[in-house]
Amino acid sequence: MKTSRFEPTIVGFLCNWCSYAAADKAGGAQAPYPANVRMIRVMCSGRVEPEFVLEAFRKGADGVMILACHPGDCHYKEGNYRAAQRHQLLVRLLAQHGIEAERCRFDYVSAGEDEKFVRVVTDMVETVRGLGPLNANREAASGSGDVPAAGSSQSVSDSAGDLVTIGPGSPA
Amino acid sequence: MRVGIYFCTCGSSITEKIDSDAVRLAVCDADSYLKNCEFICSEEGKNFLRDDLLAEKPDRVVVAACSPREYEAAFREVLGEAGLNPYYLQMVNIREQVSWVTPDPAQATDKATALIRGAVARVRQHKPLEKTVLDVCGDVLVIGAGPAGLKATLTLAEAGRKVTLVESSPVLGGLPVRFEELFPAMECGPCLLEPVLGDVLHGKHSSNIEVLTLAKVEELVGYYGNFTARIRQRPRYVDEELCIGCGECIAPCPASTANEFNCGLDQRKAIAFPFAGALPNIPFLDWDACLRSQGEDCRLCVEACPVEGAVNLDADEQILERNIGAVVVAVGGNLYDAAKLPQLGYGNGSDVYTSLEFERILASGGPTDGKLLMRNGRAPRTIALVHCVGSLDENHCRYCSGVCCQAAFKYGHLIRDKAADVEIHHFFKELVMPGKEAFALYEHARHNAQFHRYSEIGELEVSQSGEALMVRSVTPTGESSSVDADIVVLCPAVTPADDTISLSGILDISTDRFGFFEELHGRVDSARASTKGLFIAGACQSPMDIQSAMSQGMTSAGYILAELVEGRQMTLEPIVASVNPEQCSACRICAGVCPYQAISVDPETSRSVISPVLCQGCGTCVAACPAGAITGNHFTQEQIVAEMEAILT
Repeated sequence: MKTSRFEPTIVGFLCNWCSYAAADKAGGAQAPYPANVRMIRVMCSGRVEPEFVLEAFRKGADGVMILACHPGDCHYKEGNYRAAQRHQLLVRLLAQHGIEAERCRFDYVSAGEDEKFVRVVTDMVETVRGLGPLNANREAASGSGDVPAAGSSQSVSDSAGDLVTIGPGSPA
Repeated sequence: MRVGIYFCTCGSSITEKIDSDAVRLAVCDADSYLKNCEFICSEEGKNFLRDDLLAEKPDRVVVAACSPREYEAAFREVLGEAGLNPYYLQMVNIREQVSWVTPDPAQATDKATALIRGAVARVRQHKPLEKTVLDVCGDVLVIGAGPAGLKATLTLAEAGRKVTLVESSPVLGGLPVRFEELFPAMECGPCLLEPVLGDVLHGKHSSNIEVLTLAKVEELVGYYGNFTARIRQRPRYVDEELCIGCGECIAPCPASTANEFNCGLDQRKAIAFPFAGALPNIPFLDWDACLRSQGEDCRLCVEACPVEGAVNLDADEQILERNIGAVVVAVGGNLYDAAKLPQLGYGNGSDVYTSLEFERILASGGPTDGKLLMRNGRAPRTIALVHCVGSLDENHCRYCSGVCCQAAFKYGHLIRDKAADVEIHHFFKELVMPGKEAFALYEHARHNAQFHRYSEIGELEVSQSGEALMVRSVTPTGESSSVDADIVVLCPAVTPADDTISLSGILDISTDRFGFFEELHGRVDSARASTKGLFIAGACQSPMDIQSAMSQGMTSAGYILAELVEGRQMTLEPIVASVNPEQCSACRICAGVCPYQAISVDPETSRSVISPVLCQGCGTCVAACPAGAITGNHFTQEQIVAEMEAILT
C-alpha cells in the first residue's frame, strides 16, 4: 500500500541568494515536489558547518542537502567553494560511520533554476527512499522492499549509534 | 518566553493546502499562540500585526506566510513599531515552499507544522540586534588619471565632493591622450580628453580637486567611510604654481635619456614636457637623468627659467596623508609583453612594433613627427597588422581584449590617410567588432586591406628577409602563407598594469585569475571591488575601451554619491560575525576564508578581530573556526541547531 511507503525526512540547507530563491521560484511556478525536504535558510552555503549535517543525522534526518550558488555566482564570492570542499571531506567522514554518500548531497542551484531545484529534490527523496531509514530505531517502513538488506541496515544502525556519542546530547 | 505565531492565509492560497487549526494544535503550548490573518503583507495586515503585538506583548514573533526574501524587512519594521527588537522575528515560508508545491493537504500541513515548529524554536534563541550608524567622510581618493579616473574625479567634484587625484606619471590622461586618433570614429585623442583635463585642472569645480602627479599611494587603513591614505609624491622640481609653461628650461638641458612617452623610440631631455600638449602644462625634471644626480652642479635650466623659483632643484619628496571615505582605483592596463612570443621578432631592432609604439609613430608629436617611416628613414610599402598577439591563447592570455581589432582597423585608416599606396595586411585569429560603430571600421578595412586568418599565434613567424620582413602563418585549414612587409605591427592583449600586484596588497583588493582587480560581480557590480569602499574602474578591472572606462568611472562615482553622503550616517546591518577573544588562538583560518578581507589580527590583543564595516555576514568564517570562537549574528549555531532539532521532532 502507498501509505506504508517509507517517507524519508530530509534537511535542506538553502542559501538565501540562489537555492532558496530557486525554491521560491518553483513555488511561484507551482511546480509540485515531494514534501519530505525541510528547508533551513542560511545566508550562504559557506555557513553550513559539517557539525550541522552530523547533528541532522543524529536527530533523525535520513538525508541532508546543501544547495549552493553555481561556481562563480556566489553572492559572497566563494562561500560555495568552501561548502563544496567541506562536503567532499564530510562524505568521507560519513562513510567511516557507514552513512552512504548519497545521503549527504551537495549541488549547485541558481536562483533561476526552479526546474533543477525540483529535479534535485525529487531525485534526493527517491534516492534516500531507496536507501531506507538511516536510524533503525526510527519507525521504518516495513514489507515494502525498501528497507536495506540486513547487513547494511546493521552498519547504518551502528553508525547512527556512533554519531550519538559524538553529539552534544541524546535525541529526545 | 512567549511566542506569537501569525499565520497568513494569503486569501485561501495557503489554507487551501495547510490546515491552520491542525498546525495550532501541533505547535502551540502555554507559551505560544497562533492567530490567522488574511493578508498580513497588506497595510491592513501590518496594522493588525502591530496592534496585536502591542496587545499580546509576545517576546518573540513568528510570521508564517510567504518568502522572507520579500517581506522580512517589512515585518521587522512592524516589530520595531510595536516596541520589539526587529530581529525577534522569524519568518516561515509556507506559501512558495509548502502550499504552492505540495498537492496533498495532509503532507502540506505536516511540512508546515515542522517548519513552524522549527521557527518557534529558533526565534526563542534570537538575540536583540541593533543597526549601528557611523559618521562618514564624503571625500574621495582617485588613483589613476586615465579616462576612468578623470571621469570619476570630475563627476564627484561636480557634486561638490573633495577629490584627491593621484597619478604616478607627470601627465594626466592615461594612455589615450597619447593616441593621435581613436576608434571607432577617428576622433583626435588629445582633443577628446583635453576638455576633461581642462575641467579637472582649471574648471568650475577644480577647487574641489587636488591633483597629485608623480605620486603613489603607499598605505590605506580604515574602512568604508573612514579611510586614511598615505601618499608619497616625488618632486617635480618645477613649481606647479609658479611655472608658466614656456618650456625655456628644456633647450639648454645638456642631459638626454630614452623618452618613455614615445616608448623609448626617441630621446628627451632630463627636464622635459612628456609630449607636446601634455597636461598639466608644466615640465618635469627626471632626477635619474639629470647631471646633478651624478654630482655635477648643472643649473642651466634654473638659469634659463624666466620665473624666479619656478625651477626648484632643492625640492623634496613629500609624504601626504588624506582622510577619505572611498577610493576609486583606475590605474589602467598594459600590453602583453610581445617578447614572450620570440618568433614574432619583437625587440631585436627591426621594424616590428607594438600597437602602442605604432600609435606614437602615427602621432604628430611622436618620434617621427607623425611621418610614417621605417627605422632606416624610408617610407614603408607594405605593413602587416597582427591581431590577437597573446590573446585567445591558453599559453598566454585566455581572453579576448575586445579592443585590438578596432585599433588595428584604425591603424589601417591612418596608414591610408598618410600613404595611399601602402599595402595593408591583417593577420587575425578571430575578428571582434562589438557595438554599433565598429562594423564601419571593418568595412573600411575590408576595402583597403587583405585579411589572413591564422590558426595559432605560436605558428606565426616574423623573420628578416633581405631588407624586408616576412610574415609566415598557417591557416586554420593547415595551409602556409607568407607575406613580405616593411613594418609589422603587433596588437598584444591588454593586461593588468605593472603595479596592480603591489597595489592589490596595499589596498587589499583581490585580483582575478588574469591579474586584473576582481570585481564584486561581473554583471551586477563590475565597478565595485570585493572590499567595501573600494571601487575599480577602467582597464585595471578588465580590458576595455575608452567608452567603457568612462562609464565605469561614472559608475564608481554614482555608487559613492549614493552611498556615502556627508551628513547622512552609514547604517551597518547587525548580521555580521564577531570573534570571542577568549576562545581565539589567532590561527587565522578565518582570515583565509573571508572573501572581504574583513578579518585581521589585533596587534594589541593578538586575537582575530572582524571589522563590522567590512563583514557581509556570509558566515563562512563561523563555519571554519576550529575553536567555535566566531559568532555569526542571527545565524548562530544555537539558532540553526534549535531550528533543525525542532523540524526533525
